[in-house]
Amino acid sequence: MTSVQTLEPLKMDYAPAGHRAPAGSRLRALWALYVLTVRQHLHGKRWMVMAVLFLLPAGLVVLIRSLSSHVPSAAMEFIFAFMFIPQALLPLVALIYGSGIIQDEQEEQTLTYLLIRPISKWGLYTVKLLATLTTTVSLTALFTALTYAAVYYKAETVVKDVPQRCLEAMALHSLAVVAYCCLFGLMSLLTKRTLIVGIIYSAIFEGLLANLPLGIRLVTVIYYTRVIAYRTMPFVEHAPHGTFDLASPVWQMDIQHDPQLLEHPQVGTCVLGLLGASFACAVLAAFMCARREFHVKTPEKN
Amino acid sequence: MDSQRPRQVAGSTEVRPVVAFQDVSKWYGNVIGINKLTLRIPAGVTGLLGPNGAGKSTLLQLATGQLYPSQGTVEVLGRQVWNNASLNCLIGLCPEQDAFYEWMTGWDFVHTSARLGGLGRTAARQAAGRALEAVGMTKHKGRVVRGYSKGMRQRTKLAQALVHDPQVLFLDEPLTGTDPVARRDLMDIIQRLASEGKSVLVSSHVLHEVQTLTPRIVLLNHGRLVAEGQVREIRDLIDKHPHHIVLICDEYRKLAARLLAWEDVEGVKVMANEKGLMVETRSPDAFYARLPELSLSGATTIKEVYSDDDNLEAVFKYLVNK
Repeated sequence: MTSVQTLEPLKMDYAPAGHRAPAGSRLRALWALYVLTVRQHLHGKRWMVMAVLFLLPAGLVVLIRSLSSHVPSAAMEFIFAFMFIPQALLPLVALIYGSGIIQDEQEEQTLTYLLIRPISKWGLYTVKLLATLTTTVSLTALFTALTYAAVYYKAETVVKDVPQRCLEAMALHSLAVVAYCCLFGLMSLLTKRTLIVGIIYSAIFEGLLANLPLGIRLVTVIYYTRVIAYRTMPFVEHAPHGTFDLASPVWQMDIQHDPQLLEHPQVGTCVLGLLGASFACAVLAAFMCARREFHVKTPEKN
Repeated sequence: MDSQRPRQVAGSTEVRPVVAFQDVSKWYGNVIGINKLTLRIPAGVTGLLGPNGAGKSTLLQLATGQLYPSQGTVEVLGRQVWNNASLNCLIGLCPEQDAFYEWMTGWDFVHTSARLGGLGRTAARQAAGRALEAVGMTKHKGRVVRGYSKGMRQRTKLAQALVHDPQVLFLDEPLTGTDPVARRDLMDIIQRLASEGKSVLVSSHVLHEVQTLTPRIVLLNHGRLVAEGQVREIRDLIDKHPHHIVLICDEYRKLAARLLAWEDVEGVKVMANEKGLMVETRSPDAFYARLPELSLSGATTIKEVYSDDDNLEAVFKYLVNK
């Protein structure tokens, strides 16, 4: 190294070595991050795309109604609110929002502005996850209610306690989307190709394996949501030639040999299982986030 | 001189450095970003100089705790930086990348930065106003960032770095891509910050813009410390080589004719594809000094000015092989 004369440094008062940002300051920073993330969700075009997707079930219901007024409402409720939404829309919504918790900021190179604030990295992930859950749960609850409105508005046959069923469906779908978001959030820290891996996971595990009467379905989110739905709500269609169960054959619930569903977990177990798995995924992801360094592309690297 | 030997700072043995790198290396897989760097940066303004890929951004990312050193320790204000979020209250970073929350207004962006810095609602509002005023963006604060010019974007980035009133500022290529007027204004702002007692570490690959800010520089090349100290001696080496400056403007042929009349311009090469000129001069100071005037005269609008790396690279080669 070339030796060149060095200048006299300036004197400077430093902050004390034990200096820490006050708790109030840290909380304000976390709240600002929460607000920023929700605003990001609202400003992107993503939520509009999601809204259009979520309007699909309601739109299809209206279309079917316009073609035939004899389609039973209970069947439409089952197909759209308990098959289409949880199986197709919820994983997709959660994948798109959950995978972007950190990756979006990294791609858009704005992550630097968050990393240089007095916010720990695990706090950063946790707060952004909470904001993501706020958005996805709000979208899910709103559009589930809209689907119910489309199904039962001016319907010829109305099942009992529609508002109660609607609320239960909203809660159930919210629980599912929380689990999916936590799962895909963790996945986004494990792989850069989260969208591809997430779609493959959703198609194989949540789409295919969850519909087979095999033990592997115990590791899927949709299995637990189905068990909760089946245990808490009747899915019975009254037809002229008798009544029949809409859900059990489709969801592979063998009620002929196991009418009490003894082979399946109880509602409490399912709820705790989903919440516990979500919590575990969130904690693991926050831990990984805290230990990781994030490379933001500089113009040079570009 | 051995790069690993601790720096001897005359008359400063009792003063702690603001930034201290002790035997720091950073690898990206097989690629070395920083190579066994030992460096102690005192308070005041320090220029961090090196060609593209020298490791300047890596050094700044290590100093701001964004990267973890593969080896060695990094301290700022006497404290370890990795996973030390509370230290971020005391430091500010103007990053190199031209990234923003584009949908925000300038005021919103700086105000949000203040809120993320832990300031309360009222304090953040006041701080954002002050920071925007300091960088001369008050007039444009209500406009959406997406519509800002490069100079305005650089000023806004600087404002977010200042908004929480940090003690130490890290500025990563803050003048890159700016027009001559914005460049002069930004330099004035940085000098004012220094006069207010902030410590500033500013990176650049153009010696002549750094020397306007500070006589104290650190030279990096290929991740290694090449030289540190007074700019004058480095300048003497630089001036032995012709300096190449690129000017981008629409009326580049008209500008070429004007520049050729300047005595300190030794040659002008037209870069038609880039709509610009490459000027060769051995008096870069005089040349740079006249650029804002030329731009303000309205004769031609210079969109961008940057220095070609080649001759700086030559100086680095000279220093390394010395």
